[in-house]
Amino acid sequence: MTWWLITFSRRGPARYLSHLDTARVVQRTFARAGVPIALSQGMRPKPRVSLPLPLPVGAAGEQELAVVEVPEGVEATTAVLKALRDASPPGFAPEEIADAGERHPRPQARAAEYACVLDGDAGAIAASVERYNDAEDAIRERVSPKGTRRLDLKDYAGDVVATPVEGGARVGFTIHHRSDGAARPQELIDLVAEWAQVEPVMRGLERLHITWE
Amino acid sequence: MKKSPPGFRDLSRDWPPDEVTRLLARVTRPGRYAGGEFNTRVKAGARPRVVLSYPDVYEIGVSNPALQILYSQINDATPAFAERAYCPWPDMADLMRTAGVPLWTLETFAPVSTCDLWGFTLPHELCYTNVLEMLDLAGVPLHAAERDGEDPIVLGGGPAVANPWPLAPFFDAFFIGEVEDQLGAIIAAMEQDGREGRLQALAAVPGVWVPGRSAGPAQRQVFMGFSASQPVLRPVVPVLEAVHDRVVVEVMRGCTAGCRFCQAGMWYRPVRERPVDLVVEAADRLLDETGCDEVSLLSLSSCDYGPVAEALTRIRTLRPGLRVSLPSLRIDSAAQSLSGFAADQRGSITLAPEAGTQELRDTINKGVDERQFDEAVRATFKGGFTGLKLYFMIGLPGEADDDVLGIARMAGHATRLAKEIGKGRARVSVAVSSYVPKAHTPFELEPFAGEQALRRRQQLVRQAAPRGVRVAFHDVAASVVEATLARGGPGTDRLVEEAWRHGARFDGWSEHFDVRRWEEAAKATGIGLGEPRVARASWLDAVDARLSAGFFADELGRSRDGELTEDCRDGACSACGVCAGDIQMDLVT
Repeated sequence: MTWWLITFSRRGPARYLSHLDTARVVQRTFARAGVPIALSQGMRPKPRVSLPLPLPVGAAGEQELAVVEVPEGVEATTAVLKALRDASPPGFAPEEIADAGERHPRPQARAAEYACVLDGDAGAIAASVERYNDAEDAIRERVSPKGTRRLDLKDYAGDVVATPVEGGARVGFTIHHRSDGAARPQELIDLVAEWAQVEPVMRGLERLHITWE
Repeated sequence: MKKSPPGFRDLSRDWPPDEVTRLLARVTRPGRYAGGEFNTRVKAGARPRVVLSYPDVYEIGVSNPALQILYSQINDATPAFAERAYCPWPDMADLMRTAGVPLWTLETFAPVSTCDLWGFTLPHELCYTNVLEMLDLAGVPLHAAERDGEDPIVLGGGPAVANPWPLAPFFDAFFIGEVEDQLGAIIAAMEQDGREGRLQALAAVPGVWVPGRSAGPAQRQVFMGFSASQPVLRPVVPVLEAVHDRVVVEVMRGCTAGCRFCQAGMWYRPVRERPVDLVVEAADRLLDETGCDEVSLLSLSSCDYGPVAEALTRIRTLRPGLRVSLPSLRIDSAAQSLSGFAADQRGSITLAPEAGTQELRDTINKGVDERQFDEAVRATFKGGFTGLKLYFMIGLPGEADDDVLGIARMAGHATRLAKEIGKGRARVSVAVSSYVPKAHTPFELEPFAGEQALRRRQQLVRQAAPRGVRVAFHDVAASVVEATLARGGPGTDRLVEEAWRHGARFDGWSEHFDVRRWEEAAKATGIGLGEPRVARASWLDAVDARLSAGFFADELGRSRDGELTEDCRDGACSACGVCAGDIQMDLVT
């Protein structure tokens, strides 16, 4: 068996896929292209596909990564890449295949750069971003079925910039992935939007770049 | 490009337009409205433009086989361009109204209202308010009489048009029966000048009924080319999780088992089967085309498909490990059919005795006896299945309390076998729905049991059900609405419109159905719920289903005498009236 690292982009209608939907699209695309995926062992074998860094629903991604195991003898050629591209649904595009060999690669993200548009007063959004950048801490509570966790967004989200655009501001930022986890883009935007008194809706969210360890 | 509807923005300029992305950022499951599935077609500039709709949420509608057939045939075999639109979930509908953004198509994000022909497939009565919701969200006038030359022609089809009256004023025309042979003529009619010209041409197409214009009923169309035709080979494959995540090969159309309550069994006669070679080849190609890992052999009663065993064996040989499903198992052949399932598919299955006693099953011509039921249940648990769901109806004609208690007795028998054979791992559950008499069936004039009787019978089942058996009931109030519409005559449309104006939408969904909206509508219109205006003459004015009144009278008499009618596939002709001239049963020999 051999592991492949597939770099792909997710744009247009494909940006509205969930994490599980995206994994299924990868499987379907391989099946349509006639490229086999290795199956797990057990009573109900599953295709060996994983996406190491989930992309939020609604977000476009330029350099996303899928880890796929293929049977022995299947080679990562340009013809295979073309077949995968041809078999993909609109907005989903495999860009590159890297053969990682027999050892299961477990890529860890170190940081990811994002951008989105916030509708509303661009000046207020810029002031909110400046306030965030100047703040020593930005404590938020994350509520989940497991309980409530306090986290300082400043430990996880930085390089925040706001640029005026029609009807609002484009906000760029970097999320840092640490051993104890990461902030969610929505958590930063909720804070910026709250301070700017605009609706916390991330329009056109894009993940522009991922730095892998 | 035609105008945008008044008060709505023009979505046709950019893709995807900002107006849409703003809404998608705010709703649950935005992928429902974004398209982008495998095998979608875009025929830029092609005319006429058709929009196909299923009046329910995307996850339900995208799997509908009828819409897949229409989408493939229009796009691949006519000059027209077919796009799709489904009913927006209430959160999206609210946002669309607030933002003034009209309903768009998934293929091009163009406003639905700018198409030439808007076709709805109408599966059942509880989606009628969704039709009005979609018309309103698109900015298309609700009533055909208020539409002008800029508005699309709105055409309805599907099994619910067996009685088109509850929706008649909202549609420009209805197509009665199977449309495959007439699609070309319908598309050609859209090439005529002006609304009047299009409607005139449409009214001349066999099977089309135009309310207020057609001189007589439209004769139900039967696609006699079915057996020789290819199933859909490039279906749209959703990229979101839909209700059915598998490819479908329609192996057979029609059913002659003759269950007297079953509208589909009457409506889709005669039986036509596809040759097994064609079925196997289609399954193989479909799996390549879609990347799916499960195939369903679809029909009203797939166990009756002549070469079902050969088809299962050959598909499995061609694709080892593939999951193959038969959506409708018959109890009298279940033991044989269950052996066709692969070991890893043996989870849960459904068997439908329909009624609790032999007498009532004979009344409805189900014809399953207790020995067959016992064998089927034993085969289920011996085959390793761990779940058995039994499906029954209450409110059937001639039903007595003992018939209802018979449901609990059968569930008890199955539970004992589950313990004995399934060794504690197997579970039995029961689903009980309420029978609603439908047009064009032998029971079409039988009374609806009514709310009080149905609630009492539900209570009987609940009290008598064996311990440990989960019993689920269909909402009686929803059945009352369904019964009111199923046989409603002219004027019933006022009830549908009033209910929609009171907020009724997604009435088939328990979390959205609210009977108070329908009660308000009933008060406003004077149309009593549960008291359908049973007017056989009115639905016969619109629809000639090719079924003879004499056949229905005979069947009703036999039903009252507890006599069975043979399946004409292997037995004597029941003289239902369908087979005549070129229209004949077409079986694989």
